[in-house]
Formats: sequence, structure tokens, C-alpha cells
Amino acid sequence: MSSKYDLESIELPVTWKRLKPIFFAAGLILLAGGAFLSLFARGADGSTDSAFKFFMHSYLANFMFVMTIALGALFFILIQFVSRAGWSTSIRRIAELIMTTIPFLALMFIPIIAILFANYSAPYEWNVPAEVHSSVVKAKIDIGYLTKEWFSIRAVSYFVLWIAMAFYFFGHSRKQDETGDVEHSLARQKWAGPCIMIFALSVSFAAFDWVMSIDADWFSTIFGVYVFAAGMMAFFATTILISMALQNAGKLQSFVNVEHFHDMGKFMFGFIMFWSYIAFSQLLLYWYGNIPEETFWYQVRLQDGWQYLAYGLIPLHFAIPFLGTLSRHVRRHRLGLTFWAAWALAVHWLDMTFLVMPNAGAPSFMPIVGHLLGGIGMLLVFLSFFLVRASDVPLVPMKDPRLPEALTYANPLL
Amino acid sequence: MNNNEHNVKSNKEPRPPKACGWMAEFENEHDLLHAAEKVRDAGYTKTDAFTPFPVHGIDHALGIKPTILPFIVLCAGLTGLCTALLMQWWMNGVDYKYIISGKPFGITPASIPVSFELTILFSAFTSVLGMLALNGLPKFSNPVFTNAKFDRATNDRFFLYVDATDKYYNRESVKELLSSVHANSLDEVIEDSTPSELPRWILLGALLIVLAGLIPAAIVLNMRASFSDLPRWHVFFDMDFQPKKKPQQTTTIFKDGRTMRPQVPGTISRGQLDQQDPFYLGYDPLKVKTTSIDGEKQIYVSTGDSVANVSAISPAVQPPAGTPASGTPASGTPASGTPASGATPALPFLEKLPIEANEENIKLGKAKYEIYCSACHGYSGFGDGLVSKRAASLAQDTWTPPSSLHLDRIQKQPVGQIFHTISKGQGKMASYASSITPQERWSIVLYVRALQRSRNANIEDVPVDQRGSLTAPAPSQTK
Repeated sequence: MSSKYDLESIELPVTWKRLKPIFFAAGLILLAGGAFLSLFARGADGSTDSAFKFFMHSYLANFMFVMTIALGALFFILIQFVSRAGWSTSIRRIAELIMTTIPFLALMFIPIIAILFANYSAPYEWNVPAEVHSSVVKAKIDIGYLTKEWFSIRAVSYFVLWIAMAFYFFGHSRKQDETGDVEHSLARQKWAGPCIMIFALSVSFAAFDWVMSIDADWFSTIFGVYVFAAGMMAFFATTILISMALQNAGKLQSFVNVEHFHDMGKFMFGFIMFWSYIAFSQLLLYWYGNIPEETFWYQVRLQDGWQYLAYGLIPLHFAIPFLGTLSRHVRRHRLGLTFWAAWALAVHWLDMTFLVMPNAGAPSFMPIVGHLLGGIGMLLVFLSFFLVRASDVPLVPMKDPRLPEALTYANPLL
Repeated sequence: MNNNEHNVKSNKEPRPPKACGWMAEFENEHDLLHAAEKVRDAGYTKTDAFTPFPVHGIDHALGIKPTILPFIVLCAGLTGLCTALLMQWWMNGVDYKYIISGKPFGITPASIPVSFELTILFSAFTSVLGMLALNGLPKFSNPVFTNAKFDRATNDRFFLYVDATDKYYNRESVKELLSSVHANSLDEVIEDSTPSELPRWILLGALLIVLAGLIPAAIVLNMRASFSDLPRWHVFFDMDFQPKKKPQQTTTIFKDGRTMRPQVPGTISRGQLDQQDPFYLGYDPLKVKTTSIDGEKQIYVSTGDSVANVSAISPAVQPPAGTPASGTPASGTPASGTPASGATPALPFLEKLPIEANEENIKLGKAKYEIYCSACHGYSGFGDGLVSKRAASLAQDTWTPPSSLHLDRIQKQPVGQIFHTISKGQGKMASYASSITPQERWSIVLYVRALQRSRNANIEDVPVDQRGSLTAPAPSQTK
């Protein structure tokens, strides 16, 4: 196999390798600049406390923005082995590299844990029980669920599980690069099923802990699925964009073709729909029940200017991209697919903002700019992590027994 | 060619067999793809390939254009969406406005699931039916079946067919083209010459079945248009006429002629033990004596030595207006409120609270009073609750204002009577027995007593150490 193909085309472009420190530094500068705008440029309406609260929410939203992408990659790898998929082999390494940024992202979660142990009530109000007025939240604190110690233990457990899964799958993939032994595929197939169960539970609980507990009065059992759906869409958008960029840099030419882009586009389209389905399911039940203890979460998101974001998500996250990616001709068109992937990534950031930020209070201009800078900074840091992973690794699993299937794969002509 | 001619000879039909096109047989899919590309490049469009398994690229090789089915399905889906939205807007917003859970009329978030489902339904039906229509299905026969070689198309041979209806079709040139590719064999497809008419006996049988199916309908129509003196048929006689008695029927078995038997005196129905306990009733049932005169039930209440006639209620007669409309308890003791005068105690009501007058019960009573009672009677018990004020402002004569709990007659009522009023209702006030437990009802009575006393208190009622706080004049407290 390897003799037939240009081995240079499966290496990261040299210029990209040089970008690692630049992206990382630029990302940190943007994060710091965003923090500065959030913390110090807040207008007359905001006290120091509320500015800090806004910044912490902003950091958490931006963290979830990239974290969900990496979790999407992990799930994508698992599902490829559960379904024994062949078509995806040539783009699977990119997903694997995104997946293996999880340990770095765990480092990005440390500030949140540190803030908890410094006894701040942002972003999690339950961290300072004296400031909690709701009896529901007090009960959750009293039974010991929402305490900083137990929260941290859970967070560490999630990361341990995800990192263990990621490195099991990545490790076998790398070993197969050398030996080509089919046993490595079989081992991953064997464990993919149980891992998906672990993944489903851990992601759901992580979503409850990290995002839903910002407003610990509120509860939604479907919340984990919502975050998962959003992350999957963002993962496919990211993978499409990275693959496109690699091809534009002259790489992967003979490995990734329009059929793979078409399939990733289908998945992205599917998860745009799935996100809408889940988001609406959650809304409909609360709208219909119309009970104050359930609807206030939406109330917070429908006032103080956040309503433009909340209502905006309906066209931006559903109607427009749904109709935009409905046609196969768009999904098979390089520029068209790139545009909609970038769109999906942008609205994913808006979605995470919608989930996290309204609890920090009314937005004002400069902190929102700070939040946007932080989002771009977080994405750059995330990309630098990806580049660190991708630097010394071939971008295609050359000895995977399913690679020929991926290379000859074609969508049926409708 | 040879076996085709053989087929033709064995047929008696005089009409000459029609040639439908050419069919080439191939050993493998590569030859087929190659041949299909040649045929496509020659400009033929009415072509088809038959293979035992899906061959990648055959659509492209045959020059098949992408189907327009997706656009048809999109249109159908949008039609379904619009149909659903229009239907719900018309039904719930215009034609039949009906309040459901206090939700607004017309299009709401609750309309989305129906819209979604109709979108899917229209799309799914259009997909299936459109696919059948565009493919010209169902098609029960095809001329290619006349060739016995074609059976191998489901097994190990690959066929390419050029139809004679193609606008560039020329018998000789197509034959020449197909001869130039690596075909195993080349045959002209001859029209299936077996008769296409249905056999006469099938038609006759179908006609008979249809006619037989009309018989029940004809009988029904006849019966609807005619009259009969005959009694109706009872197919299951013993189910229509069962040897049993139903409620409200008469019988000769018992002397009083009733099928529904009254309770034997002294028995308590299962689960109704509380009907005998003053805690649940507000009065002592053992002090209630009943007697029957001329078939009418008369209730005598013994209050100490004197015996007061409360009311005479015939089982068939409704209680007169003014008495509460609450039902008769199963114990046989009719519920009876006070007569309109309210002066004499009607039932042997408890004079003493069966619960302790402590702070916990007062708090419980206050909470429950403010939930259930204050809406009408007001937070202070003057009958000035929000509902009452609103009803008064509407000034309609249907509203009976709730009593002030500070009226002299209510102050004089024994605690058991207030409990009884909460349990059974009074006048326009409904029973709250299903919402408030007996313990809570007694707590409310306790709280009502506290409210009443608060309006008639003097300085001796205030604890000594707190009297100082009352010396300052409070305008709202002056009485």
C-alpha cells in the first residue's frame, strides 16, 4: 500500500509545525486580552464581583466550546469500531488526533477547579453555600453532591476515563501503523461497545456537573444529550475544516476525496437536525408544563438582551444550516461544505454561550468582545494542541486493513 | 435468436412478434461497465443493465442522470409542513378555539411535533410512491424474461439492454455496436407473445365475489327502509337477559322492594372506620340517634338531656335550599349542616379541640389557612379575600359573599362545627375534605380561633414581658 502513495502527503506541512508555539502564544494572549476586557473594561453597571463572574462564565463557555469537539472525536472513533466502518479510515487519524488533545484540555480545566478551591462563587454559585438561597440547591449541597471536593473527584474521573479510552484507541492505531496486525483492529472493536456506554454516562454527567450546575436549581435529564449533539456537530465541522486545510496545503490528496467530505457533510447535517430535535424536545416539555421551577432557566435566557441569542439560535443553528446542507450538491462542493462547516463551528460557539453566559447577568459590549476574543484564543490553543499531536504522526493509518475500503469508497449516485 | 424463433413458432397467435431491443450477455462486471460506457458514448439513453449484485459506477457508465425524486420529496415535505401548520392554525386558532392547559390559540411550540410528523409522513409516502412511479412499477412482466439465458442475471451473468424505443435506435447499428464489445452472446429481445388477457374464469370468479359482497349491504339497506313488527334477534339470549339485579331496580325478594340493600346497623364498611371517630367528623356520632317514622328517616340529636329535632329527610327528597349540598355519608347518618338560623347546635359538635394548641399546630393552621381559606375569607378572616373582592367588583348577583369569621354567630360556633364546615362545605363554599387532611383542618380551626381572639383581646392576653411593645399607638391595631 505504502509504495503506491506519496509518503510525504501524510505528514503535517512543515509550515504548520512551526505554527504550534505561535498558535499557543496567540491563543493565550487572546485569552488574557479577553479576560482583561471582561474584568476591567466593564461599564459602570458592573461591580468587580459581577465582572469576575462574567469572566468565569466566559472561560467555562469557551472551554466547553473546544472540549465538546474533542469529546465528539472520541465518540466518532468509538462508533467507527462498533460499526466496523471502512469508509472513514482515511480521515480517522485526524479524529484520533483531535481526540488525543483531551489530556491538554484537562489542563485547561484546572483553573476552574482552582477557582472552586479558592472559594469563589463563580461560575458555580453552589460553591459558597452561605450565598445560596434556594432550598433545592441547599439540598443538593447538603447531600454532598455539589461540593468542591466531590465535584473535583468526578471531574478527574471523567478525564481519567476519557484519556484512558483515547489512548487505548490511539495506542492500538499507532501500533498498527508499524505492524499492520489485524489484531489491533479486533481489540478496538471488542472494547468500542463497552466504551460507548462509559462515554454516554460520563459525558452526560460531565454536562450536568460543568454546565447544568451553573444553575443548580434547574434540571433536565436530556441535557447531556444536548451537549453531546452540539459537540458531534462541531466535531464534524472541525474535521471537515482541518481536512480541507490539509488538502489545500497539498496533503492527503490521494486519501481523502469528495466521497469522504460528502459523508462528513451528511453527519454534520444529521447532527444539526439532531441538535434541533433535542433542543426542541427540552423546550417543549418545559413550555408545556409551564412550571416556574422548570421555566426559569429559559426565563434567564429570554431577558437582558440574551433573548436575541436565544431566538437567533433557531435560524442560525437550525433553519439556515439545515436548508443550506440539505442538498447533496452542497455537501459534495468543497467551498460550499467549507462554508457550512465554518458556520456550524461558529454557531456551536454561540450555542455554548447560550448555555453558560446568561447566568452571568446582562451582557455589555466590552465583556462580550472579551468573550469573543477568549473563544478565538481557546480555539487557537486547541489547534496548537492538535498540531502538537499531529507533528510526529502520519495523518493516515497506512497499514489499517480497512484503508483500501476507504480509498475505493463511493457514495451511490442518487 | 434460435430459441426465440422456437418460442414464436410454438405460439398460435398470427400477429408477428415485435422486437423490443438488443440484449448482450457478459462474463463479468468489467466487460459490462466497458460496454455500458461505449453504449452511453454512442448516445443511447434507453438502456439498462442487469447484474446479480450492485456494481459500483454502473450509473455513471450508463449515463443515468440523478433522479429528481429528492426535489419531489422536498416539495412534498414542505407541503406536509404547510398542511400541518395551516390545519392547526385553522382548528385551534380560528374554527374551534378551545383552551387547553391555558395555552395560547393557533401556532404554538406544541404545533411543532405535528408539523414534524406530517412533514415526514408526506415525504415518506412521496418517496415510496414517487420511486415506484419514476421506475414505472409495479411492472409484472418484461420482454427480457422471454430469453431463458436471462435467468442467470440473478446468478452469475451480466446483461446490457438497449431498448428499441430509444430515439437513435437502429436495429443494425445497435447490433454492430454490441458485437464490438466482449459479449458472450447477443440476442434480440422479442416481445412476450403469450396472451396478456386474463382468463375468463378469473374474471367470472371475481365478478361473483363482488356480487356476493353486495348481499350484506343490500340486506342492511332493505332493513333501513322497511318496518317490522318482529322483536329483535337475541343472538346471545342469556347474555342479554341475565338472572341478576342491578342498582335502582325493584325486587320481590325483600319486603321493602329495593335491590340495593341498606347497611346492617352497627356495621362499618371497609375503609370507613373514621366515620365513627369524632376526630374525623367534628361531632360525636354515638350521640346521634335516628328513628324512622312512616318510611321517612328522622334524626334526633341528643345534646345532654334535651332532644332537638334537626331535620326530617326523606330518602327521595333533596335537602331544601340553604342546607349544604354535600352527599350522604355511607354510615347512614345524613350530613346535616346547621339550619339557616344557626342558633342551636345541630349536631353534637365537639366543644373542645382534639389537637393540642401548640405553636406547631398554629403554624400549620396558618399555612393551610393562607393556602385554602384566605382566597375568599381574607388573610384576617373578614371575608375580604382576593376572589371575594374580584367577585364583588364584577357586581353579578350570582356571588354569595363569604362570611366574616369574626361574626358573632361564628365566634359562638363550637370548634367541631367549624371543622364540619371545612369538611362538608357550607352554602356556596365547597367541601375541602379532599384537599386538607383532618389534622390540618383542626389546625385551621385552631388558627381561626386565634384570629377571632386577636380581634377581641385585651392587655391581659399579652405576655407580661411583651406588653411594652404594644404601648406605642399602632393605627392598624386600634379597635
